[in-house]
Amino acid sequence: MHQKFLSLVCISLLLPFALLAQEPEKPKSQQPMGGVSTGAATTYTSRRTVGITDPSAPVVFEDVTDKTSIAAFRHRSGEAAKDYIFDTPSGGVAIFDYDNDGRPDIYLVNGSTLAALRGKDKAPRAALYRNLGNWKFEDVTDKAGVANERWGMSVAVGDYNNDGRPDMFVGNFGVSRLYRNNGDGTFTDVAEKAGVARKGWSTGASWGDYDGDGRLDLFVPGYVQIDLNNLPPNPSDVGKSGAVGANYCQFRGVPVMCGPRGLPGEGDTLYHQKPDGTFEDVSVKAGVNDPEKYYGFSSAFVHVDDDKLLDLIVVNDSTPKQLYINKGNGTFEEIGYPSGVALNENGREQAGMGLAVGDYDNDGRIDFHITNFSDDSNVLYHNDGDNNFTDVTFQTGLGEVSIPFLGWGTSFVDYDNDGWLDLFVVNGHVYPAADAHQWGTSYAQQALLFRNLKGKFERVGAPPGNALANAWPGRGLAVGDLDGDGKLDLVINNLDAKPVVLRNVAASSGHWLGLKLVGDVSKKSPRDAIGAIAYLTTGNVRQRQDVFSGAIFCSQNDMTLHFGLGAATKVDKLEIKWPDGSVESFDVPSIDKIVTITQGKGN
Amino acid sequence: MKHLLKHFSLIAALLLVAGSAVAQERAAILTGAELTRVVPTGFYFQGLSAPTQMRNSAAARFGKDRYVISGLVDTSGYSADVRAKYVGFLITDSAISLNGESLPAGAYGFGFATEGKMTVMDLSGKDLLSVPVTNDKTLRRPRPLMMAADAGGVRLYSGKDYVVIAAQ
Repeated sequence: MHQKFLSLVCISLLLPFALLAQEPEKPKSQQPMGGVSTGAATTYTSRRTVGITDPSAPVVFEDVTDKTSIAAFRHRSGEAAKDYIFDTPSGGVAIFDYDNDGRPDIYLVNGSTLAALRGKDKAPRAALYRNLGNWKFEDVTDKAGVANERWGMSVAVGDYNNDGRPDMFVGNFGVSRLYRNNGDGTFTDVAEKAGVARKGWSTGASWGDYDGDGRLDLFVPGYVQIDLNNLPPNPSDVGKSGAVGANYCQFRGVPVMCGPRGLPGEGDTLYHQKPDGTFEDVSVKAGVNDPEKYYGFSSAFVHVDDDKLLDLIVVNDSTPKQLYINKGNGTFEEIGYPSGVALNENGREQAGMGLAVGDYDNDGRIDFHITNFSDDSNVLYHNDGDNNFTDVTFQTGLGEVSIPFLGWGTSFVDYDNDGWLDLFVVNGHVYPAADAHQWGTSYAQQALLFRNLKGKFERVGAPPGNALANAWPGRGLAVGDLDGDGKLDLVINNLDAKPVVLRNVAASSGHWLGLKLVGDVSKKSPRDAIGAIAYLTTGNVRQRQDVFSGAIFCSQNDMTLHFGLGAATKVDKLEIKWPDGSVESFDVPSIDKIVTITQGKGN
Repeated sequence: MKHLLKHFSLIAALLLVAGSAVAQERAAILTGAELTRVVPTGFYFQGLSAPTQMRNSAAARFGKDRYVISGLVDTSGYSADVRAKYVGFLITDSAISLNGESLPAGAYGFGFATEGKMTVMDLSGKDLLSVPVTNDKTLRRPRPLMMAADAGGVRLYSGKDYVVIAAQ
């Protein structure tokens, strides 16, 4: 008995040391994915971002740019050498019906040049194209007064004054603009008067009523602080006498423009709209000012936890993403790390660029797709509920294929109207040197279209000679039904090039329903219904679509909600959760058309 | 019986001494102000000083006053070949071991190689030691760099890979 007791004591004594002496687990090699350019610097014998075609692939989109007046637009941002970081990320594009004639119009943001900023050259102009129907567009930029003629980055649409006419915030590298829609085909820049003439480098903004007062507020991410009188070293100076820091900015050993890492970041700004229609900067008070000064690129006010308060996601380049949960008292709690959204599944920071918002698996919760740098995959975060997200990129089929691409605009789009959100991604490198080296990538890149197979994705191939076989230096992307045929079309804004208008000509297309939502301002819902959620049920599939502003990459989709219905010939149930939190159900007597639904007029 | 009691007392005393020694060297992971107080805002390595990514820094205290500090730095100022092997610093004010390999007090650079090893370098970039990493598949929310308690000391994580740091 005593001996047994002694043995027990001895074992207890030795056990901790035995545990301490345990051999570590056999090492495993790291997975070839991760953060900002963290992939292995492999040398490739071919480029995997251009010329990839599939003769058996279906024709989904037709490039109709040259059949329209939009072909005359030329984007320009800096010089071809891309010596500086501000030369590379412009610009956004918006599809929105500015004149309320039922046909969505197109606004294309333009960049600028150092010479123009210094008054030595004419500034490039943004352009507004009025949709005349039948793929005819009229350039109404001058009449509308929206040429911007500053270094444009982004556009976010929102009816901030609840007058039924959509307004535009144009984020600039420089002073931003707020174009108020006058309702007569013209706009007036009221940014100074309204208090949103943000200086610095404003990127992908988002409108949303975060405090439930029925007035839209505005969030604007900041990217990098640039002193135009003290520019970073640039690759064109390498080797020249007196060049400073030529070694500082390299990619795979090749001199390239500097940044964003190594350059000071810029904080973010939240503007709260006051009853008099002017705005106040409440960034610090609300806790969304980004004191770490991450390199902000994209944002969206969106319901993450599905209470009645809008939450906020911010996608940052080369630094963690931020997810702000609205606490309902005018402040937000940042939960990027604990939610799983800040990093990828391996705990790596990524070069976040664009942001797609949508419920890809029809489970009723909003998910996020985010584009990243080349040598790294894009990332898809599945919303598990309770503010938890899981990186499901590779298991859903979106990982490996995206690695050689440098992604920008990304949007969920049900191109075949089967009731499952597909995905479109616009790509293009930031370094022109990509074409001179065997990096497996290229400066201009093909776009990526993925078909959603009930929660898994497969790449839709590009038939030879088709639009998707072309490579573009893509940046902004916007989705909308430009010809009213019930199939979603796309517009891409390309860096230093003409834009691309893609007409959806998919042969296999299901039924559809478009919803234009109108909020009741007297019930403290913004009139354009930003923050509303529509739940549509056909058979055993319940889809969710949110009215939101911004995201994609510095761009704006048409806010008409578009539901693919597949083979279903009727809608079994339509519920709208309005921005004020009230829920109404509506009868849908017929489909294959756009229906306007006004708050308070339902069942 | 008396003999047996004497024997038991001796073992109990041994147990207490051993337990006390383990407790003395048990690592405490620093957080908040304690962490920012010890982490340097920049680090010199191979000809340059680079800013620390404070969000990706970690520190542990062994016993009463022995510290191990680590952080990732912004390596954008370095040439590609340096960036390929150097990601951050490791500072220790007393001798430690990394997966059992001894490392004297000092300041070092380190990197994680793709073949699953952590390499520690002196400030000139010369390799001093290389230890295999362990992949922690159970870690739900990995970070670019963090420390966590381990039976043998602390785990220094890079993503899901870690090495164990112990006081010597």
